[in-house]
Amino acid sequence: MAEAILRVEGVTKLFGGLAAVKDVSFSVEPGEIKAVIGPNGAGKTTLFDVLTGVQRATSGQVFLKGENVEGKRPDEITALGMVRTFQTVKLFEGMTVLENTMVGCHARSTAAFIRTGLSLPSARREETRILAEATEVLKTVGLETRSGELGTNLPYGQQRTLELGRALASRPGILLLDEPAAGLNPYETGELSQLLVRLREGGLTILVVEHDMGLVMDISDEIVVLDYGEVIAKGSPEQVQNDPRVIEAYLGIEA
Amino acid sequence: MGDGIEKHKGPANVHDYRTLLLVAIFVFTVPLWAHFIPGSVIHMDIVNLMVLSGIYACAVVGLNLLVGYAGQISLGHAAFFGIGAYSVAILCTNFAWFPTWLGIAIGASLAGIIGWLVGVPVLKLKGHYLAMATLGLGEIIFILFRELTGLTKGTVGITSIPPLSLFGLRFDSDFKLYFLVWGVVMLMMLIIINIIRSRVGRGLRALHSSEVAAEAMGVNTSKYKTKVFVLSAVFAGVGGGLFAMFQRYVNPESFHFTLSILFITMVVVGGMGNLWGGIVGAIVLTFLPSVITALPEWIPVFPSSLQNFGNYTLVLYGLLLIVFMIFLPQGVAYGLSRGASYASTGARRLRDIWNARKYEGD
Amino acid sequence: MITGLAVAAVIAASLIFKGSTGLQWILSGLTVGSIYALIAMGFSVIYASTRVINFAQGEFAMLGGMLIYTFSGRAHIPTALGFVLAVIIVTLLGAGFERVAIHPLRKSNVITMIIVTIGFSIFLRAVAKWVWGSDTVPVASFSGDKPIRIFGASLVPQSFWVFGFTALAVVLVFLFFNRTLLGKGMRAAAGNADAASLVGVNPSTTSLTAWTLAAALGAAAGIVIAPIKFVAIDVGVMLGLKGFSAAVLGGLGSAPGAVVGGLVLGILETMVAGVFPSGYKDAVAFLILILVLLVRPQGLLGKRESVKV
Repeated sequence: MAEAILRVEGVTKLFGGLAAVKDVSFSVEPGEIKAVIGPNGAGKTTLFDVLTGVQRATSGQVFLKGENVEGKRPDEITALGMVRTFQTVKLFEGMTVLENTMVGCHARSTAAFIRTGLSLPSARREETRILAEATEVLKTVGLETRSGELGTNLPYGQQRTLELGRALASRPGILLLDEPAAGLNPYETGELSQLLVRLREGGLTILVVEHDMGLVMDISDEIVVLDYGEVIAKGSPEQVQNDPRVIEAYLGIEA
Repeated sequence: MGDGIEKHKGPANVHDYRTLLLVAIFVFTVPLWAHFIPGSVIHMDIVNLMVLSGIYACAVVGLNLLVGYAGQISLGHAAFFGIGAYSVAILCTNFAWFPTWLGIAIGASLAGIIGWLVGVPVLKLKGHYLAMATLGLGEIIFILFRELTGLTKGTVGITSIPPLSLFGLRFDSDFKLYFLVWGVVMLMMLIIINIIRSRVGRGLRALHSSEVAAEAMGVNTSKYKTKVFVLSAVFAGVGGGLFAMFQRYVNPESFHFTLSILFITMVVVGGMGNLWGGIVGAIVLTFLPSVITALPEWIPVFPSSLQNFGNYTLVLYGLLLIVFMIFLPQGVAYGLSRGASYASTGARRLRDIWNARKYEGD
Repeated sequence: MITGLAVAAVIAASLIFKGSTGLQWILSGLTVGSIYALIAMGFSVIYASTRVINFAQGEFAMLGGMLIYTFSGRAHIPTALGFVLAVIIVTLLGAGFERVAIHPLRKSNVITMIIVTIGFSIFLRAVAKWVWGSDTVPVASFSGDKPIRIFGASLVPQSFWVFGFTALAVVLVFLFFNRTLLGKGMRAAAGNADAASLVGVNPSTTSLTAWTLAAALGAAAGIVIAPIKFVAIDVGVMLGLKGFSAAVLGGLGSAPGAVVGGLVLGILETMVAGVFPSGYKDAVAFLILILVLLVRPQGLLGKRESVKV
């Protein structure tokens, strides 16, 4: 049995006296799509922030491919293979679709100020490679015809796709998606669904926070349900759908 | 295939190198045709002003990288300029044998080291907090220049700085310095072009746009901010060293807050985030006072009292800053490049129309 | 309030060990500090309402001083009338600039705003140079120059005018921002302009009011200070920088903070000048500025500003 790509153990995050995330534990197996759901304010984005180093956990550990990454900087965690997208699109302004994607390759390259400033051959070779990889990614997500446009000029749905592509360019071991379907119409959500399944078939592991239940139920292998920062249920889509605690959390009162 | 691929014709950025060559050709030929400009002989020594512009440009092109591309602020860059200048001045007047080029190198390195020391803590700040912190640091260094009289001779300043000598050549005239200074600027631009059109440049622009997203993509934002700050400090230090070689005299007043503001103004007026903004801004603002005095000669409408330099220039200068920010915040370089692209589109249109008419006749 | 104890300790130490010299330091420090406090208040008023830092604040004070010299010293207009006239002129300048430059640029980035206010300060200084020349001008004290002795230290009567005016200004500004609808609305607009406008607070009015107030405050401060501090066209620069440090020390956007920051800075600076070569005293303001920004950016009395992710 292959080791879990991501192991979250007892992660707690306190803001002052408020526990945004409380003793959350779960693991993500290679090649699986796991969804994290829960009512608004359940602590899902905070969880992602802790996993990717944007916030430090108050207590608990995070193991990425067996290595403890709690307390590391976000760019270090990306280099180790865990990459995320954001709830609100954070494309780089003033940069084209292609350039945005090429930034995704940053962690997979090393030429820094001196090598690029002097335009050394190794830096130039790396740049050619980055260009090729980014172009490949754009083909995968279907944006290569718009590569020269400013990222922020794209319609919203394609901006989301671009952000996903940018994350893919870093060849993550596990991809963390924060509400990737937010603001998408049903057609776009369907396309996203198909893309994610295709990516999983290619061997990518995905952890996704989502509100769109149709998407979640369609593609997830397993679901973790958070409420008030705590895990209240874990299981297959069918199991979770019928779990009374989950129903209570979403509807507020016992049905 | 989208046209974004064409823009990246591999790592060698031909388009920018070509522009650099054109700029270099333009700049290096100035001494030949400068005195044909009317009024220039009386009101402005163009070669002299161009040398000064080039010296300032050294500081400003690095600052443009820091401010325009990486999105940081520094209101204290005169300090690095001054460190470069004082290093050469102190070393070469106290030790007559000390090679001037080494003095400049040491000054630039010292500026870089101090840039690193102050940059690491200060660059954690953002926006006007960063602006004020760099302002405070610049002022502290200015006060040190003024008070460490044993070393710097305080407000009296250091005089009789020997001229730059390199490979046996003494650069003791404006004309000789001209080519050296602008050669240095072109070299700096080459480095900057290489950086901007690379992974590092993208990383800087990314962190300017969104630090959080840049970090998520693997950019070590604090390291990059520090490195670009140090680079701009080193370039400013080189400029300062050349300044000492040009003026042959330094005193603390030259490196006050006012100079830092001048640098920032050059960046902004030239065009923040425009590759050539630094050079354009440095030239425009260095020439501005002289241009104002020369105006009555070119355009009879302006009263000749404009030639009474001191009084009106500063008023106009302040007004210009305000007006500029309101009407052309992207800077002169942007205005120039828009003008150039309109011109080339216009030329193409005319050619198309002309060709179409030719065929109609058949 | 560790800082409060530290300040009290420093004051106590200087009194005990230096006796009347120490007292002189403190009294002079309080006088200078009140000057900084008044300038700091001008910064805070604009910042509290619009999050803009006005680099020309020092110039408002400079102009106040120069104008009172012309009105009372040269044109022999009675001081009170001259005061009012000078304040009105500077206020019009400030309000005019706000409409012409600040308002159109309200959505711009930090650097643009900084440059535009710097441009304004250069412009004001240049106009002043044109009108008054570069020399220092004398301004008569309001109630004579006979120093008042206190336990071996002395203060000129004008200092009391400064103290009094500072106290009055703090009270008025505090009341305005905390007890009047307009003032409270302005503070709300600074935090969240969209939400504030939803409840009827007009950000444009907020900005104009803030600049008008700050200009009036700055000019009045300059007039009261003028007999003590040598007035020349370039005093505004240092006053502005130090006033800003004081504002940050006390908490940008807080009127009581401006006073606390100003007084503390004034005392520290005077003491440093007493012990070290006097040229270094200018560095005190900047060292404090940097330390505060790095260690406690909200200042002594300010609240942490939350950063939106």
